[in-house]
Amino acid sequence: MLGSVYALVGMGLTLVWGVVGIVNIAHGEFVMLGAYFAFWAFSLIHLNPLFSVLLSIPVFFFVGVLIHRQITERLVKQHELSALILTFGMSILIWNLAQFFWTNTYRSVSFLSGSFPLLGLVFSQSKTVSFGLAVLISAALLLFLKYSSWGKAIRATSQNPDVALVCGINTRKMRMITFGMGIGLAGTAGTIISLQWVIFPQMGATYIAKAFAIVVLGGLGNIHGALVGGLIIGVLEGVVTQYVSAKMAQIIPSATILLILLLRPTGLFKK
Amino acid sequence: MNRLIEGGILIWLGLAILVAFLIAIPYFASDYWITLFILVFIFAVYASGWNLFSGLTGYTNFGLAWFIGVSGYVSSLLIADYGFFWLLAWPIGAVFTSIISIGVGHILLRIKGVYFAISMVALTEGTRELFGTKYFAPITHGGLGVPFVAGIQLPTLYWAILALAFCTVIICYKVFSSKYGLRLMTIREDEQGAETLGIHTTREKITAFILSAFLVGLAGSIHFTYQNYIDPSFAFNINLTLTPIVMTLFGGIGTVFGPLIGAILFTFIHEILWAEVTQLYMAVFGAILMGLILFFPQGLLGWMKEKGILPKNRKL
Repeated sequence: MLGSVYALVGMGLTLVWGVVGIVNIAHGEFVMLGAYFAFWAFSLIHLNPLFSVLLSIPVFFFVGVLIHRQITERLVKQHELSALILTFGMSILIWNLAQFFWTNTYRSVSFLSGSFPLLGLVFSQSKTVSFGLAVLISAALLLFLKYSSWGKAIRATSQNPDVALVCGINTRKMRMITFGMGIGLAGTAGTIISLQWVIFPQMGATYIAKAFAIVVLGGLGNIHGALVGGLIIGVLEGVVTQYVSAKMAQIIPSATILLILLLRPTGLFKK
Repeated sequence: MNRLIEGGILIWLGLAILVAFLIAIPYFASDYWITLFILVFIFAVYASGWNLFSGLTGYTNFGLAWFIGVSGYVSSLLIADYGFFWLLAWPIGAVFTSIISIGVGHILLRIKGVYFAISMVALTEGTRELFGTKYFAPITHGGLGVPFVAGIQLPTLYWAILALAFCTVIICYKVFSSKYGLRLMTIREDEQGAETLGIHTTREKITAFILSAFLVGLAGSIHFTYQNYIDPSFAFNINLTLTPIVMTLFGGIGTVFGPLIGAILFTFIHEILWAEVTQLYMAVFGAILMGLILFFPQGLLGWMKEKGILPKNRKL
């Protein structure tokens, strides 16, 4: 169930990477911001977290579009190292500001903390709801990319930006939208995460590591691959935590990245 | 021609005075300044070492902390547990790191671009986690860390790192102005093209990787001897990778003296920031990084070359 949320984070990262060509290291920080968004909406104006999940999609989409227009579009044609270092700078800027204003206190949203039995197993309410939400959003994203005209344009930009431009697609606009969608997915994943896990300023780092593992597992720019990759990482983590130790489970993302890059650099699934 | 020679003599004279001044620092400066200069030179070696590999080949090494941590661990454990003399322990750490780097380089340098950067981060983070687990605890003392005393005086440490920094700059200068440096730059510009021209790209990359690992590893050993303490989260800290990269970018990537200038300026900026805005230190650091990439991608030396203040010469 964790895996479905990881998949959301990973899909956002792989989408931006594949279409815009920027490796967004600050991706995890937007997950953190999403979680804080839900937390503050809940504790200040008592907004239902489920509603803030919906609200976070347009809010973070807009934030992403703004960031891309102002900053990252300039890096599209440059060496990838520039984008890597710039987004890293953005990442530490955001988490340090979050730490400064919201302190290091561990926070959580106490919502749907009960559980219910089903088919002889006990399920936690919040985990079931977040799983459902994550699946819903992933499905919506896949359908959007497959059938809508914007989705088609985005895929065209990802496959070959120059030809797409010749075909009359505004690739600049598509990159902007994609970046917005990527940040939107990260923010939404953050709000969903806030339903069940603790929130703290440095949480982005753990999610970015997993997101990279997922992207590498699924293959660069492969949305379906990221979905499956997310589930694999989630399950692996659960199994190792259960049978080996929680400490060893933290090595999984790094180990996955190294192994996959060495043995099958195109990811598990060919496009 | 005559003016050039005169300029050359002046430069050599200036350099000689500078070196004499740096050697003499422990005789008149306070301990604060000595430690500050020790840090400047440690980071100068890190930055130059990073630049030697990444600045020339274009392969972004995001695992500099791995070199530092591995070498630091080997030498610290040798000193702490086996009572080695520091002068013996440092090279052993660095040589050990270089030897492992041969293997790591053979495996990871086949991976290109961003993937290489990520795999190096993964290697560093993975090693950090692994060194902290109970499986490695008999060797590494686990996550508790190893406090130790190497019995070295501050001035001696200072001279050691000064000598290393001096050697590093000379090595960088030699590499950058040699044909070997040119071959590495060809890899940066167009790896396939380089291969077509008959350059054994993998071999060249690995030798540069090992050289970088050796220099950075040696500085790493000195760093932890100076700190008298080592633990996994400290030795493989991502900041140890990033600070040298920022310094290099600041001074000018792919130049000989850029990392050096960057290290000097940045250590002082760091001191001021740390004293003035401790809470927001990382935020300011991040903002500087973003600003550098957006408005100043060439770095200080690159900018001066562009403006014609310095000659466009790869010996600088």
